Amino acid sequence: MSSHDHTLAGHDAHHDDHHHDDHHNPGFIQKYVFSTDHKWIGIQYGITALLFLAFGFYLMMVMRWSIAYPHEPLPSWMSWIFTDGWKARWLQDGKVTGETYNMFGAMHGTIMVFLGIVPLGFGAFGNYVTPLQIGAPDMAFPKLNMMSYWLYLAGGLVMCGSFFLESGAAKSGWTNYSPLAGFADGQVVNQWLSGQTQWLGGLVLLITSSLLGSVNFITTIINLRARGMTWMRLPFFVWAMLVTGFLLLLAFPPLEAAGIMQLMDRVTHSSFFMPSGLFTKSEGLADLSGGGSPLLFQHLFWFLGHPEVYVLLLPSLACVAEIIPVNTRKPLWGYKSMVYSVLVLGFLSFIVWAHHMYMTGMGPVVSTWFQTTTVLISVPSVILLTAMIISLWGGSIRFTMPMIWACAFLPMFGIGGLTGLPLAFNLADLHLHDTYYVIGHFHYVVAPGILFGLFAGIYHWYPKVTGRYMKNSLGHLHFWPSLICMNIIFFPMLVQGMAGFHRRWYNGGDAYLSKAQDSVNVFGNTVVQHIDLNILMSMGAWTLAIAQIPFILNVFLSLKFGKKVENDNPWDATTLEWATPTPPGHGNFTFDPVVYRGPYEYSRPDCEGDFLPQWVEPKAKPAEVKPDPVHDNTPSAH
Amino acid sequence: MEIPYIVTPRKDTGLFNSKIAIWLFLASEVMLFGGFFSAYVFLRIGADYPWPERTLPVLPGLINTFVLIGSSVTVVFAWASLKLRQWRRFQIFMGITVACAAIFMVLKGIEYNVKLHHQAVRLKDYTVIEGHLGYEKEDGVEVKDYKGHKIEENQILIEASKLTFSTVRFHKPWVESLMGQAAHHNAEITLTEDIKAITEIGGKEEVIAKAGDKLSPGLLSRIQKAHLAARKSNSVHRTAALREEWKIAKNDSPELKGWQLAGAVSVDPAALAPKLISEISTVGFTVNPPVEFMFRPRDVQEGATQSRLRDDTVIEGKLLESPMIFHHVDAIDFQHLAMKAEQKGIDPISAIDASWLVQNSPFAREAWEWHKGEVAKLEAELLKDYGTDKKGNPKREPTHKDRYRIGWKELVKKVESEGRPKLSGTASLAEEFVGPNYAARGDETFPHFSVPREQIGFASKFTPSWNTYYAIYFTMTGLHGLHVIGGAIVLGYYLFCGKKMYLANPEWLANRVEVGGLFWHFVDLVWIFVFPVLYLM
Repeated sequence: MSSHDHTLAGHDAHHDDHHHDDHHNPGFIQKYVFSTDHKWIGIQYGITALLFLAFGFYLMMVMRWSIAYPHEPLPSWMSWIFTDGWKARWLQDGKVTGETYNMFGAMHGTIMVFLGIVPLGFGAFGNYVTPLQIGAPDMAFPKLNMMSYWLYLAGGLVMCGSFFLESGAAKSGWTNYSPLAGFADGQVVNQWLSGQTQWLGGLVLLITSSLLGSVNFITTIINLRARGMTWMRLPFFVWAMLVTGFLLLLAFPPLEAAGIMQLMDRVTHSSFFMPSGLFTKSEGLADLSGGGSPLLFQHLFWFLGHPEVYVLLLPSLACVAEIIPVNTRKPLWGYKSMVYSVLVLGFLSFIVWAHHMYMTGMGPVVSTWFQTTTVLISVPSVILLTAMIISLWGGSIRFTMPMIWACAFLPMFGIGGLTGLPLAFNLADLHLHDTYYVIGHFHYVVAPGILFGLFAGIYHWYPKVTGRYMKNSLGHLHFWPSLICMNIIFFPMLVQGMAGFHRRWYNGGDAYLSKAQDSVNVFGNTVVQHIDLNILMSMGAWTLAIAQIPFILNVFLSLKFGKKVENDNPWDATTLEWATPTPPGHGNFTFDPVVYRGPYEYSRPDCEGDFLPQWVEPKAKPAEVKPDPVHDNTPSAH
Repeated sequence: MEIPYIVTPRKDTGLFNSKIAIWLFLASEVMLFGGFFSAYVFLRIGADYPWPERTLPVLPGLINTFVLIGSSVTVVFAWASLKLRQWRRFQIFMGITVACAAIFMVLKGIEYNVKLHHQAVRLKDYTVIEGHLGYEKEDGVEVKDYKGHKIEENQILIEASKLTFSTVRFHKPWVESLMGQAAHHNAEITLTEDIKAITEIGGKEEVIAKAGDKLSPGLLSRIQKAHLAARKSNSVHRTAALREEWKIAKNDSPELKGWQLAGAVSVDPAALAPKLISEISTVGFTVNPPVEFMFRPRDVQEGATQSRLRDDTVIEGKLLESPMIFHHVDAIDFQHLAMKAEQKGIDPISAIDASWLVQNSPFAREAWEWHKGEVAKLEAELLKDYGTDKKGNPKREPTHKDRYRIGWKELVKKVESEGRPKLSGTASLAEEFVGPNYAARGDETFPHFSVPREQIGFASKFTPSWNTYYAIYFTMTGLHGLHVIGGAIVLGYYLFCGKKMYLANPEWLANRVEVGGLFWHFVDLVWIFVFPVLYLM
């Protein structure tokens, strides 16, 4: 009866947009631009995010030039992208100025975090894979999904568009601390047209986008699971997406509040984050009421900022967790403990934020609390990583391209995580705070860690998306130089950081050299000793750029020349996305998917072949069939 | 393809999709408003000025509270009517709900309007004066600015004879404003000197603007173009020259690192000079005859002989007396002054007695003396009503606000005690909504007052910039107001465009109304927290 009801309703749902119906051929615009299909939106997210990543990467290359060769004009192979007018405004005799460096630094961070990794991990992989893995025809709210993508794009364009304003883009670091960010671009009369304000505007759009996205994801996972897809049969990927969704849902709003308040500070001259008696060189005593609290901004920012780290991490971890069982031909070790760990991780990530703020003088009690929670959170993280390492044990590993990336993820993320431990203790943090050690630490997590995991995901699901494998030769050409360069860039950062190199030196410590010759500077000798590492690291960074060329070629060339997949399940995997046609059509499944078992049934001794997909109906043992009693009202599939 | 569970709930979760979604969305909203509420706590605890307590009119807020609660009830009735398939009743109840939203917004709008037109100033000794500003007049007629807006008597007046604009940045509306003001005074702003520029390298200097050319945004834009072109061309040459020097230096001593060479590498300015063309970064204009220009205080950094606008325009000329003129003072607040005095260990009463305002304004002195008497009366009354504790201290004492703030109601009480007739009931009820009635109360209740510029510490309307209380008040109520508007639009959509949905699938419309109603409850709930926090505490 209810099924009948539903069919009726479904038709009404589409009365105003009949063209979305899969019986009709949607037009080009509806199919490829304003698409509501989760798979195409995922691809849109992916392409856009990769473009933003490339742009953020480019900003970093310019910064690395300023650090390695602060006195030399930017070489033309790097500066050709600017117009002469832009160069005249932002470069001094062709050299990167401190202001320009700050701008690039702030935007590099912002772009990589908000416009690059999160949309790639959560937006692209989450969108494409999640509904497939749970056996859903689409996301619960396809139009909302589309809106979420377009808001993200708009936010990104607003932020990056500010590069062309008179004021340039935001320059106050990706953390955008007040009062610095409150004052920045104060000379601009129309505050809406300053980079700093547009950064906030873009942020509000991005937060709205991720809010819609996370609501959609969580609803989809809760309500659209296929028959038999019980919670403990969910692939780990889906669990990770669920937790990520909750992190985005609950952690972003306080930052939105902070963003709105900072926007008020900039546009209406309020003093949320502006203390009394603020004095600047250019403006004298600020014409503000004062009475606000700069610390408040930091609290609100890091309340998002820390969960955001896990928003970056979990999708990547999720990809790796999918790839390892497929390529070791054995179940994921400790699936349940991983699931509980990821839930605990999600919860704990909300109560560690102030470990970014040990230097603000919060007092020992508060510091101790956050130090304790921070050390606690390493427990679930270590469980996750360890479970994946143990999953390799005794497996018959197939070193396919995705597996190679996934294997590299494990130690690289490990280094990133372990280098974070000293930062968790506020005593050690006093020394390391704001040095290159911190930069090295979180870049190890994000770049060779998270990004490698996402690359693994791209190589893994590319055959499902396109029907062709990516080329192995180009893949190796991409992987090995990337792995080496990543370490050349980031390992010396740890060394430099412990020697006291500050993260905001736009000239790589050059300014301190003259002091070191004749004064007893704390960092004196160490700066001289380690400054040449700058050049090595920069060379590594530029080489890394070259190493991405095979990847770009691979993505495009394999579309046409890649080896065709033999069947719909080319990796012999067990999860539901491989039960769809290749590429999956609108509505995903050609049959009504029913799930009979857990997600990682590899090498079961009691069945032929070394894998047993979730959707294959058991024949030998009827006892195993567990028809789901509560799902008798599942809608009929067409 | 159809998305399941749009209308019927899934059995194991018991929920249809949009119901899950709205609860998740509300969780997120809780975190958003939670962010603001924690900001409120943070700001209030950390405030280094007397937090304005019970400063908003309670009556309209209270009415709004009941209006919203009522609408939360009717929205449930509307939903229930749909469940019973009673379209007409649905229309009525939903209509009431949307009407309530409108009433709420109207009351809120009145409240905002009063605030946005109310001026406050904090003197350098932390005395605060509140009231309404007058408008600039010439020969009894109100002056309008170039946009046609009235100009408040809170302008920086500079008799300028010379203006120097930055070609890097000049704000076009401000240029237009200067032109308009000069035209009003029959004065001309003309270019002081010929502007010469080499438009191409090796070319001859050409005059691109002649002395005596009248100021216009077009002229400035033309000069700006020349400036940008010169900057561009120079940058190219400077970069090339520096690059060349580095090439030579590296060839000469390949064993040295960049930072070791840096000191030795430089471009010979003499060799470079022929390749460079002049960058006109400023351009001077003469004002003839000198004009008394008016500037908004926030736009200008004033100096005795030279002032600077925020767009880097330099104004040369004498700074004139630029008092801020209150047409009606409606409150004098010594709380901040008293707080500062207490912090320094000075007796607040004598600090107020010695304050600039009490010394210089007979009205303020009189009001303050009267107020001291009132506080003494209040003290005696409280002692009588509540008695003393075991140590012999009075159990209740007048608050800081009672002691040091003379609000408009106190001023009214003062003149009424002196025999001025009272306002009618309706008129004084209206004051609860729109603030004091200056016209009826007259100048003797709310007098004129002129504050010299040098006494002003900080001045603002009752906008977010006045203090962090108003900042959080406007932000939270504004955001709440946006939620009310958003909710009303959605519910209004179901009301006015819902018939088709109702006929096609009434259950689905009921689901939608349920979800909209849940949101509406949330909006109500936020107000239930906002109201006491901002209005009563």
